[in-house]
Amino acid sequence: MSTKNTHIPEWLTVPFAGITPAPSQEKGQDLFPTGNWRSIRPVYRDKLPPCNNACGTNEKIQGYLDLVKRGKYLDAYALIKEDMPFPSVTGRVCYHPCEQACNRGKYDEAISIRAVERFLGDLGQALTNDVVKPGKPNGKKVAVVGSGPAGHSAAYQLARLGYKVTILEKSPKAGGLNRGGIPDWVLPQNILDREIERLEQLGVEIKTGVEVGKDVSWDSLKKDYDACVLAVGLIEPNSVKAEGEDKKGVLYGLPFLRDIGMGTSKVKLGARVAVIGGGNTAIDCAREALRQGAAEVTMITVEGNAKEMPASPEDLHDMLEEGVELMHGRAVTAVLGNGKAEALQLHKARFQGAINASPITVDREAPAERFAVDNVIIAVGQRASLNWLPAEFKNERGTIKMDKFGRLGDTNFFAAGDIAQVGSGQPLMVVNAVGDGKRVAFNLDKVIRGEKLEPRTIPVDVIFDLNRMNMTYFPHFPRVQQEMLSTKTRTKTQDEVIQAFTEEQAVEEANRCFSCGTCNACDNCYLVCPEPCIARPERSNGLYKILVDYCKGCRVCIEECPTGCLEGVPELDFDTGVVRMDTAFAISPGLHGRQAQELKNLGDRAPKNI
Amino acid sequence: MATIEVQRQLLPILDSPNQGARFYNPELPSSEPFVPGHRTCAGCGPSIQYRMTSKAAGDNTILVGPTGCMYVANSSYLCTPYNVPWAHTQIGSAGSFTAGVAAAYEAMIRKGKWKGKFPNIICEAGDGSASDIGLASISGALYRNHDCLIICYDNEQYANTGIQASSRTPYGGMTTFSPPGPEVPEGKKLYPKDLARMMAAGHPHCYVATASVGYPIDLMNKVRKGLNHKGAAYLMIYTPCQKGFVYETPRSIDLGRLVVECGLYPMWEWNPEKREFNYSFRPASMRPVSEYLKLQGRFGHLHAEHIANLQKFANEQWKMMGVQLPEALIQAADAKNLTNMAAAAEAQAVAQTL
Repeated sequence: MSTKNTHIPEWLTVPFAGITPAPSQEKGQDLFPTGNWRSIRPVYRDKLPPCNNACGTNEKIQGYLDLVKRGKYLDAYALIKEDMPFPSVTGRVCYHPCEQACNRGKYDEAISIRAVERFLGDLGQALTNDVVKPGKPNGKKVAVVGSGPAGHSAAYQLARLGYKVTILEKSPKAGGLNRGGIPDWVLPQNILDREIERLEQLGVEIKTGVEVGKDVSWDSLKKDYDACVLAVGLIEPNSVKAEGEDKKGVLYGLPFLRDIGMGTSKVKLGARVAVIGGGNTAIDCAREALRQGAAEVTMITVEGNAKEMPASPEDLHDMLEEGVELMHGRAVTAVLGNGKAEALQLHKARFQGAINASPITVDREAPAERFAVDNVIIAVGQRASLNWLPAEFKNERGTIKMDKFGRLGDTNFFAAGDIAQVGSGQPLMVVNAVGDGKRVAFNLDKVIRGEKLEPRTIPVDVIFDLNRMNMTYFPHFPRVQQEMLSTKTRTKTQDEVIQAFTEEQAVEEANRCFSCGTCNACDNCYLVCPEPCIARPERSNGLYKILVDYCKGCRVCIEECPTGCLEGVPELDFDTGVVRMDTAFAISPGLHGRQAQELKNLGDRAPKNI
Repeated sequence: MATIEVQRQLLPILDSPNQGARFYNPELPSSEPFVPGHRTCAGCGPSIQYRMTSKAAGDNTILVGPTGCMYVANSSYLCTPYNVPWAHTQIGSAGSFTAGVAAAYEAMIRKGKWKGKFPNIICEAGDGSASDIGLASISGALYRNHDCLIICYDNEQYANTGIQASSRTPYGGMTTFSPPGPEVPEGKKLYPKDLARMMAAGHPHCYVATASVGYPIDLMNKVRKGLNHKGAAYLMIYTPCQKGFVYETPRSIDLGRLVVECGLYPMWEWNPEKREFNYSFRPASMRPVSEYLKLQGRFGHLHAEHIANLQKFANEQWKMMGVQLPEALIQAADAKNLTNMAAAAEAQAVAQTL
């Protein structure tokens, strides 16, 4: 209704019905704040995606896939570097628990997260300067013993926190298991060299050829440094306790790979090679043996079939493709031969139990089998070598005695990596060691700053159920496969077997991400709101706002949220922005409230003598 | 006297692979001609449609509407959620009023009395006005080819007066005018008027299309195509009504998708240049109509033979679009196969990828 040409006394120009101001884009039509219709309020609550949860170091996988999707590769690389010092390495070697946990696996095929990580890692390698900067120096010195995954990770995080870190490595080259346990055709040495260079750029000093117990004593570690991280790993190979295991031609898995990796190998393999063991190291040994000139490689496992082997199924598949034979359900009871291994004596055996226990029953009654070989590689796990450790810190299992934060008693010594995780049921993998190194670095920092170590008690809500998302928004798309060298040529060379993603492939693969439980600013809630009471000043996670004055609680946004980030919470749970039924219209007094106030003041404003 | 040429707005088409139902939406315009603070029901389908339409049109827009939910619920007490000029017309005169606005702007621009671009003139008529009471005036506006977009937001009944049957109410739909009983167990015996095809057939020079709130980007693009078309355009948009359809409010968008996937609301565009229908829109899957019916209380009284009738109707629509019918849908059109529906696998989705 127009008030044009109508005389209204000045004191009566209150914003009254009939002369209602027009609505505005910012405030809406505030005569009708409809929020008091609502019994359920939509709330943005980010949950933990299963990939982030499964990752040994809790990389923000959903986060960097989302950034890759939008072409923000450098941001994605910076995000991955928060938890992972060397994405180019884990992008090649990781056993990717994230992909096993990926919700997309239940829908069509899991996302090739490792390949995207490798794409980002290689991008980071190509940068002249790394995105990560050392922290402000705090004047504290920390020694890290061992430069493997856990030591590298701990040193990296401590350097970012401002510590002066020195790495003590007993081998002539830094890298630990990353160099010594992983063959070149999985992880080229120059990639690792570049990552170690990056670590040195953060101000970390790496002293190679320094062995604790020989060159440096326990007491001098205690005296010279404010704190110390022991990430020494498991270095002594386990034996199979067979007769004649000391014969010439019998090799052990990890030393075999280590010598090749360090370039100090003098081994010449014969034509027929047997690999004992069914884990990932055994697979690497078998495939390396082919590349070292063996013609026939047989893998002998105690497990009854390939499914029970504690190895990555992909690697097993690739190994079989290269022509390695499998022999299941056998245990080696003796190495036969005259001064040199010529044959193995095998007995039927059964394996029951976990990876780190070894309840193997060997049927010695049954007739033995003879298996002719030229070389035997035994890869049945490793154990710790801790002669230098004071007895008070050793436990009955031969590893380090520590609390659940990795701390040795109340000293400033911490243990991280395989040496801390062996026997915990956690698979002894690179990414788990990296995660342990990261957590120990933060625990160490807390101890140095005099804070109390407390276990995390915040419950995590991980989305495992696809029904919590709106699956109608996700069309089926096949997984982008990484290209591989052909089986014919790859066993002759040390070239990388698995090929990297191109940019287009990485984006296509990142586009498949469901973004489980986490807002990725898809704008869907913003688009479907009937009010519309979802404000979006900027398109980003955490910046969508529900205008509670107006939201009627229809829950269309919750139903249509593709990722399951929005959830409905009963209005009774809130104490802010609550709808009170005793106010005439809504929570905020709105225009009515202002009118009421103006009407109360009318008497004061009216002229006294009309 | 030199005449001034009419300058028109050209709205860009939004990028929409996968027919609008994609995960990451394109960058949407920030202007908000339809603001919160209106009295439509929670989860209102027409309101969702109104918001998307006005967002696609932008700020230089004039909204016109005959009596219906969008003007009864939204413009009472003289306060409206419209941030642009608007007018409420009498229910029978939607087309003539809109034609007048468009003609007036053209004349004012011609005479130099209006500086600036020709506004987007949108008429939002409910299905009661567009298919029954105001049909003649809308047909007249389309016939005279005024530069405007006339939208029928189709909630399949007269909703603001308390759910009465309109000629768009589907077969079997319960309203207060078509209650089911012993004589007429299906409630409504008549099949709905095919309004959009009628408009396309009768006014072939107009851009005519059907859309659904289940496919928002597709809907916004059709609005923009209609506004960019020089001359009259007509859109019929499926908008579920929570009160009349009797469903849970969160399912508004879901119903908009299901009605297309069940074949009860074929999505097409009429191309006025080529004078042909474009049936290329394909939903992600095909489902039996029972998937759509079971969510709504207004179909709760239907017997197996009525559901089979609706399935036959849907199958005809699929055939019209040139889609090969899967065996499951042909089976579902036979009432014998539906008698055990509640327990049988028919109640499950027959996801048939197109």
